[in-house]
Amino acid sequence: MRAGPSQEEIRRHNLGALLRHVHLGGPTSRAELTSRMGLNRSTIMALTADLTAAGLVREELPRETGRAGRPSLVVRPESARVYVFAFDVGVDRLVAARVGLGGAILDRRETVRRRGPFSLEEIVGPLAGFARQMRRKTRPDTVCVGVAAAFSGGVDRGNGVVRFGPNMGPAEDVPFAEEMTRRLAFGMPVKVGNDANLAALAEHSRGVGVGCRDLIYLHGDVGVGGGIIVNGQLLGGHAGFGGEIGHMVVNPKGRLCGCGSLGCLEAEVGERTLLEAAGRVPGVPRGASRTGTGRDSGGSQGPDRMPGVSRGAGENPETPLGTVSVTADLGVDGFETAGPGADGRHERLIGRDAVRAVVDAADRGDIVAQAALSRVGDWLGLGVANLVNIFNPEMVIFGGMLREVYLGSAAQVRSRLAVDALAASREGLRLRTSALGDDATLMGAAELAFAQVLADPLEALARAGS
Amino acid sequence: MTPVLELRGIDKSFGPVQVLHDVDFSVHPGEVTALVGDNGAGKSTLVKCIGGIHAVDSGEYLFDGKNVHINSPRDAAELGIEIVYQDLALCDNLDIVQNMFLGREHRRGIVLDEDTMEEMAARTLESLSVRTVKSIRQHVSSLSGGQRQTVAIAKAVLWNSKVVILDEPTAALGVAQTAQVLELVRRLADQGLAVVLISHNMNDVFAVSDRIAALYLGRMAAQVRTSDGTHAQVVELITSGRSGDLGLTNGVSA
Repeated sequence: MRAGPSQEEIRRHNLGALLRHVHLGGPTSRAELTSRMGLNRSTIMALTADLTAAGLVREELPRETGRAGRPSLVVRPESARVYVFAFDVGVDRLVAARVGLGGAILDRRETVRRRGPFSLEEIVGPLAGFARQMRRKTRPDTVCVGVAAAFSGGVDRGNGVVRFGPNMGPAEDVPFAEEMTRRLAFGMPVKVGNDANLAALAEHSRGVGVGCRDLIYLHGDVGVGGGIIVNGQLLGGHAGFGGEIGHMVVNPKGRLCGCGSLGCLEAEVGERTLLEAAGRVPGVPRGASRTGTGRDSGGSQGPDRMPGVSRGAGENPETPLGTVSVTADLGVDGFETAGPGADGRHERLIGRDAVRAVVDAADRGDIVAQAALSRVGDWLGLGVANLVNIFNPEMVIFGGMLREVYLGSAAQVRSRLAVDALAASREGLRLRTSALGDDATLMGAAELAFAQVLADPLEALARAGS
Repeated sequence: MTPVLELRGIDKSFGPVQVLHDVDFSVHPGEVTALVGDNGAGKSTLVKCIGGIHAVDSGEYLFDGKNVHINSPRDAAELGIEIVYQDLALCDNLDIVQNMFLGREHRRGIVLDEDTMEEMAARTLESLSVRTVKSIRQHVSSLSGGQRQTVAIAKAVLWNSKVVILDEPTAALGVAQTAQVLELVRRLADQGLAVVLISHNMNDVFAVSDRIAALYLGRMAAQVRTSDGTHAQVVELITSGRSGDLGLTNGVSA
């Protein structure tokens, strides 16, 4: 039989809990901490004293309280002093950031990643370079307490090996964590997680999902990733590969997915599918094309925005898009291109910009773009309906490029939900877009990096300082 | 949950033309209610009746469950009803703070209390997570369409309002700004306000609303929960006043 937790364990837990409150909730008065944590006032005082002595928090008089009596001291995180390095490895971009305790991004570097054959060096090299640059700029009294990366691919929880990443293109297992640790040589291991999983945690702890115990986050990069949070915990599965929503098969006779199967959600709603359906894939001739980003084709607000006329197309996901594209040749006069060879600027767009251009065009009345969006929205709605039936989440969050896709095809997505999700399961459901936006994955990595110091503040700090 | 604002059997005529027939409409706190309808269905008239610009001919107007009489826009504002019109009614030659307090300036003695106003404006924008504005002392003329919309909405929220009515807030905005405004609309409701969104764009309506109220030729065809409705249904309600079991029968509310 095991005895109860020791005094020391309780204290360690409480220190971590208090630090977490301040880290996620921002500056908080001692009085508030007392009531939120359900601890004694003198306990809170002792805990803050310990954390202050360690240099993790700082106590200040509040500016104004608007109440009578002696004001309670406000506990703030030492954001400028205690920080982590967070990395985000996406299909099209590499980001490195220095994030302070409390979640403030203190410094960041970003570079474009070219799509092409996978090379570990081309990822690790720039990220390690950025981190060293940023570290050189820090003051001597600062301390780095963790390093973590979000990776667009399946990551083995045990050793940080990337096992798959159809859109990044590694042919075999990649020892990403090990290589990052070696190259950085910061004297601490680099933790790695799946980008969508980490983004889900970030939205749960400091984004739109604060206070939600059951939520599902869908992340659109080139493919679709996901993070499922059940009763406050990320559903990792046996080895950490859980939550791959993008590879849920929704259409067995559908399009070929990068993973090798047919009709994965990712294959039906991913960037490539949307761009193809909208006739915007570089090098593919289109039945109809319009140049520019559509911004100068103005004056199409009125009739194009009439419900039922423009948005009604593509109720059926199997709508043959070819027939629609013919009518689009009637587009705005004077803005037609000479042909596929002389295509306009958006022909070369990829990633978020390309997706945005499609939503923009649809909003301005481009029938092909509208049909493409409503087709993709239909499949997205079907995927979400399945998830809602299985997990009965309180909230579904659309992040990455799915934010634009959802906002541009919400009528389709929610119509599908109304038809395919069980009434009882969808009743309390809230559909939201990411609050952290493009930084969701990066902030997720930062939270992973902070995990150690939040679990055991003094020990982690001692180790980092040595 | 009781509606914060409820209209029952509203009739409104302009001379011989009856614009609203026996309209019921309710708005709940913490929810976005989308008000949809074809051109001329009576959306604007209904909103102007709510805002006290037009007096209703007959019908009940309940606020927080109590019968009230609204005779002027000032009455509506005092109850906590703010309307953001399509033209936004912002003054280009004034800065953000001046616009937000226009006509309701704070004073300290005989001079304006700029500090307090600035702080309140900043706090309101902060509470709405508006980070796109560089300085609150910027002239409104230098703002983008989305930012103007944001300022107009923040102005409405500044006065502890309970009901905010937005008339086509995303018309004439680009995609990035539309997304920001829609997220702002959602945030307002998530903070407990009752929001009425007038829009012709079905994606905007489905993206953020909790209920959809469809007007058809001056009658309320139906109020449905967005989670139960489909795009096709709503379009039918707008264009023909009925859809399956929902809507009007022989032009009369069922």
